Amino acid sequence: MFFHIILERNMQLHPRYFGRNLRENLAAKLMKDVEGTCSGRHGFVVAITGIENIGKGLIRDGTGFVTFPVKYQCVVFRPFKGEILEAVVTMVNKMGFFAEAGPVQIFVSNHLIPDDMEFQSGDMPNYTTSDGSVKIQKDCEVRLKIIGTRVDATEIFCIGTIKDDFLGVINDPATV
Amino acid sequence: MSTSVEPFNRLVKLAARAFYDDITTKGDNQPKAGGRSDNRGIAVVVLDALTRRQWVREEDLAKDLKLHSKQLRRTLRFFEEEKLITRDHRKETAKGAKLYSAAIAATADGQQVGKEGEEKVKLHTHSYCCLDYSQIYDVVRYRLHRMRKNLKDELEDKNTVQEYICPNCGKRYNALDALQLVSLDDEYFHCERCNGELVAESDKLAAQEVGEGDDNARRRRREKLKDMLQKMEVQLKPLMEQLSRVKDLAVPEFGTLQAWEARASAAGRAANGDSSSNDPSKSSQGLGYGGTPMPFIGETKVEVAFSGVEGKDDVKPETSTSSLKVLPPWMIKQGMNLTKEQRGEVKQESKMDGTLAAPAVELSDEKKSINGNDAQSNLQDEYVKAYYAALLQKRQELEEAAKKQQESSQTLNSNDVSDSSSSRQVGMKSKRVEIDGDDDWEEAPVGASTIESFKVNDLNFEAEASGDDEDDIWEEG
Ligand SMILES: [Zn+2]
Repeated sequence: MFFHIILERNMQLHPRYFGRNLRENLAAKLMKDVEGTCSGRHGFVVAITGIENIGKGLIRDGTGFVTFPVKYQCVVFRPFKGEILEAVVTMVNKMGFFAEAGPVQIFVSNHLIPDDMEFQSGDMPNYTTSDGSVKIQKDCEVRLKIIGTRVDATEIFCIGTIKDDFLGVINDPATV
Repeated sequence: MSTSVEPFNRLVKLAARAFYDDITTKGDNQPKAGGRSDNRGIAVVVLDALTRRQWVREEDLAKDLKLHSKQLRRTLRFFEEEKLITRDHRKETAKGAKLYSAAIAATADGQQVGKEGEEKVKLHTHSYCCLDYSQIYDVVRYRLHRMRKNLKDELEDKNTVQEYICPNCGKRYNALDALQLVSLDDEYFHCERCNGELVAESDKLAAQEVGEGDDNARRRRREKLKDMLQKMEVQLKPLMEQLSRVKDLAVPEFGTLQAWEARASAAGRAANGDSSSNDPSKSSQGLGYGGTPMPFIGETKVEVAFSGVEGKDDVKPETSTSSLKVLPPWMIKQGMNLTKEQRGEVKQESKMDGTLAAPAVELSDEKKSINGNDAQSNLQDEYVKAYYAALLQKRQELEEAAKKQQESSQTLNSNDVSDSSSSRQVGMKSKRVEIDGDDDWEEAPVGASTIESFKVNDLNFEAEASGDDEDDIWEEG
């Protein structure tokens, strides 16, 4: 799920960036530092949309660096258990398949793939129904439901299922 | 027009017994004191009580149920969270309380609108509650759906995190470790420690019950689940049937407290033919009541059984009561087969006024217990007794007469009718005095019973029609 939230961060700025463009420099550094990171609490920071407030800087003893408390608005993405996501298949093997929804990696184990789909090995390993009408392989788009998440300080990993109503392949580029 | 409450009440009662049977509503600060403070079953009692009411002031409900109001409120709050009831709280002046009393009076017995000034309430917050039938229907359905889905999911290993085990070193992993376990060489997972090929543990349930006899444990668990599912289907069958019965019926809707009050007291006034302008609810008459009077629930039905008449009361009461009743003009339509008396025409009137005493004499002569001259001055209950006795006798006579003269009944019958009606006038006169609202409630049970029977037919039809698609609704894909 996506959220637009306000976060706060202490930014350390080297004295050489001081001057007329101090604020711009701060913002640029913030984007570089924060976008694309992941915190267990808020999820992935997708984009910074604005600076809310920059507090008073504090000179650090000995170094000359200055610390600014910066409040910024950003869009974050955090997957939840029970959430339905659309994802792109990245790898298929005998144990199941992996898929990506933006920055999130999801694993769907073979017992959470409908029973009528069987694993086929080869150059293009895939799961196929007996009549061949539905095929899950690399680069397929699938709709899946998240049934578990592992949240570390810097990483979120999910496991999902396609064994439920309205889940499964939604678009197969190989057949288009 | 008639949205009937009865099937929905049955639904509520079934749901109460199925799901809220052993709910205890204890305050957090109350210690577990064992038997005495065990209030299990109270939830069912409260829900049952609510099926007999519409909007009810919670204090009154507590009084009726002889419960402490705090305890009741706790139960009601629980039901509010369960989405079974709606509640309304308002600061109340004396006027507001009167408004409610008026509505209650109107629903209770159709008499005496507004007990004037009986309850002088200062500005207190009062809470009201009412069953929310449409929501109850949804809540119960959803609950059943969730129960079934949970059991089925667990049976089919849905939503379970797959576990893996290394056959070499016995290290366990689960699907969340998948990223670390993939190998680029083949399509299996490999142990981080010994690089052995991992095997899937096919059941999370077995994994929970650690150690030996995994297979047995799994099988036992599956059996248990299947058993539970089956038991659920069997034990909740009445509830599900009731749900499907209720499916296409119009849901009784009481509206908000204000709208309900306005509507109820308006309907009450209409029933009484009372158009007194100082009615307390007059002021709020404007707010939305859609014209249709509520079908009042919990109405008391009175059945008067004449001893000895039970067997033959099919036709006779019809002739003896309804024939004499003067129908109101708006009920008389063209082509109705009515006697002059029923139309309330002059002849009958004059009889009533002028010759009241005469039939009384006849009557008492027959009865031989009451002197004709005293009749007017006798106590009323004696009068009534005489009336019933006479009526009974008259009926028996009538029946005999009817038996004998079946073929030429047309002319004779009209005689009989006028005869019996005149004899009844006496009783009516005396009765009129004590039960004035007579006409109103005498009609009500008749109407109610016809509606009831119609409803029953309807229900059966409903059950037949929707019996088979009940299964489809919750079928998993
Ligand atoms: Zn190992």
